[in-house]
Amino acid sequence: MKKRTVAAVVGAVLGAAVVATPAHAQDVKLGLMAAISGPIAALAPPMAAASRLAVTHVNEQGGILKGGKLEAVLGDSACNPQNATDVATKAVNIDRVIAVVGPACSGAVLASANSVTIPAGVLMITPSGTSPEITKLKDKDLVYRTLPSDDYQGRALARTLKARGISKVAVAYLNNDYGKGLAESFKAEFEANGGTLAGYSGHEEGKASYRSELATLARGGADTLVIFDYGDGTGLSILRQSLENNFFKTFVGADGMKSEGLVKAIGAANLGGFFVSAPVGEASASLDNFNKAFKAAGENIDAVFATTSYDAAFLAALAIEKAGGDKAKLAESLRAVASAPGEPILAGEWAKAKKLIAEGKDIDYKGAGGDHEFDAAGDVPGNYAFFKVSGTGYESIADMK
Amino acid sequence: MSFLEFLNFHLVPGIVLGSVYAVGAIGITLVFGILRFAHFAHGDMATLGAFIALALVTAGLTPWAALPVAMAAVAVVAIVVDKLFYDYLKARPKIMTVMASLGVALMLRAVVQVVFGVDPRTYATGIVRPDDYFGILLRDRELYTLAAVVLIVIGLTLFLRHSRWGKAMRAMSDNPELARLSGVDNRKVTMLTWAIVGALCAASGFMLGINNELHSMMGWQVLLPMFAAAILGGVGRVEGAVLGGLIVGIAEEMSIFILPAQYKAATAFVLLLLILLVRPRGLLNGKVL
Repeated sequence: MKKRTVAAVVGAVLGAAVVATPAHAQDVKLGLMAAISGPIAALAPPMAAASRLAVTHVNEQGGILKGGKLEAVLGDSACNPQNATDVATKAVNIDRVIAVVGPACSGAVLASANSVTIPAGVLMITPSGTSPEITKLKDKDLVYRTLPSDDYQGRALARTLKARGISKVAVAYLNNDYGKGLAESFKAEFEANGGTLAGYSGHEEGKASYRSELATLARGGADTLVIFDYGDGTGLSILRQSLENNFFKTFVGADGMKSEGLVKAIGAANLGGFFVSAPVGEASASLDNFNKAFKAAGENIDAVFATTSYDAAFLAALAIEKAGGDKAKLAESLRAVASAPGEPILAGEWAKAKKLIAEGKDIDYKGAGGDHEFDAAGDVPGNYAFFKVSGTGYESIADMK
Repeated sequence: MSFLEFLNFHLVPGIVLGSVYAVGAIGITLVFGILRFAHFAHGDMATLGAFIALALVTAGLTPWAALPVAMAAVAVVAIVVDKLFYDYLKARPKIMTVMASLGVALMLRAVVQVVFGVDPRTYATGIVRPDDYFGILLRDRELYTLAAVVLIVIGLTLFLRHSRWGKAMRAMSDNPELARLSGVDNRKVTMLTWAIVGALCAASGFMLGINNELHSMMGWQVLLPMFAAAILGGVGRVEGAVLGGLIVGIAEEMSIFILPAQYKAATAFVLLLLILLVRPRGLLNGKVL
């Protein structure tokens, strides 16, 4: 009897849910898999804010599909394959999202894409997963990114250092998909251009001391240490211990090291010899649109990955609109809205895009962080700048070729 | 590589790291020996201690003055955690308490993340270059760390050997039933043990933080080397934990000579496996659980 009552109640609730669904049928959920905790935690808030800004633009300018709202479902991927997989599973199975923005870190992207989103046929656009390994994913055309692969960044950094007259460096990389991918591209290009690697070694995250590794690297005789790591994680320990022990004079990092937390912890006065490379948006009307809106929202427009996070969410929304909410058509629609030819759509121009899509016209989204012409693997080319520490943040000193 | 380089960049960091591991391992070995379970929340309790000290430093205390206060605070936390979660499972198989401690670890970490955020923090901004002692490079904070560890170990050993309550703890470690029959109040001894363990957690977290950075995963990440140290030295043996801590710390910093740097983290595993294979009771002949 009791069992039957329970069954009846469950049935009634489920029935009510089914009946209730059509009223919200046009509402669409978008998963935001930010790395709120973990080694890039300090980068996460502006990234999530930028993605949310895109969602706000969509909802303020007519909503998605037929009068529906786009709803962002935030999850913490923690820059960690395990957490990312959990968060993706929840987003896909419980929140029933059809597209996700994120996860932020390459290892997290690879794991959650392989085990959750690709099998479920969910579109994934990462705003900051940069490992060359992501290019190689067998992704049924479902995994994209709005920033270039580290293969470009590692190579550009190698050429920039050579051009600045640095021809002997030691490399310390975090032993994960991000660090290793960058280090390998850097090494290939640096050596091809006649540079010498006086040391090249990976390290695990989360150790309390890296002095023995650094001493071994320093023995190679280079003055410059290239660190492929996260500035809110081990990268900070490595930099601090190198500075305290005078192992190296100059330090160069990639985008993961461009952390303001790092400047705060070590102090700008001690960081005169610290430089980072990071992707930058090319000056464009679209970037101006974004900067204006992002500033108005009270955020820092120089935050790393902000533009790419905005574009990832905006592109996902465009793809959903174009596909009419049909999950199976998302990849095809994303390519259609992102690629030339078509009427150009800039950041923030949701109403215009919605109208053109409704009229059946082809559009071409020109994002704040770049044009986003995806290649066959879902990658985009990009621009980088070389930064130095200035005040509590970073200041661009040169474009990188 | 000169001999001084070897001392400065391999042996000294190894000893400092080892002493921090030792303080953590003492706590683990006490729980293991007296309460008979593997306490997985140890690392995160250390994180909590480090962050409580940070809050005090932010409020104006100097770091080393904040340490005793943080130790006292985490001692209270440890007693409360025991009352809330472990005491309740006392009569059940020990594996349940072990799993409960894993849950406590996650809860403590979440509290730290919610209250203090997830960015890396430091007790003081900037970098400290070492002083030169006849070629040996040492920072004040490293000297203080070593001194604090020595004080803690001596104090604890004297307490366990000579005080009434210390003897009661050892009695309970040997045989809880017999100790109870001889008039030892097991409940009070359990409470006392948690107070000491909590204080030691805070001390190890603080020392880890002052020698590097504080972040919400810091304790969890040193849990394995600390367990390795406790088992290496012999479960239930305070001197063993110290010896084990030093061996694990120094071995990690020396592993660079024979292994690529990314395998440094595996050193503690390898040592643990070896000792379990060759001498399962640990170097100083600890308990078999």
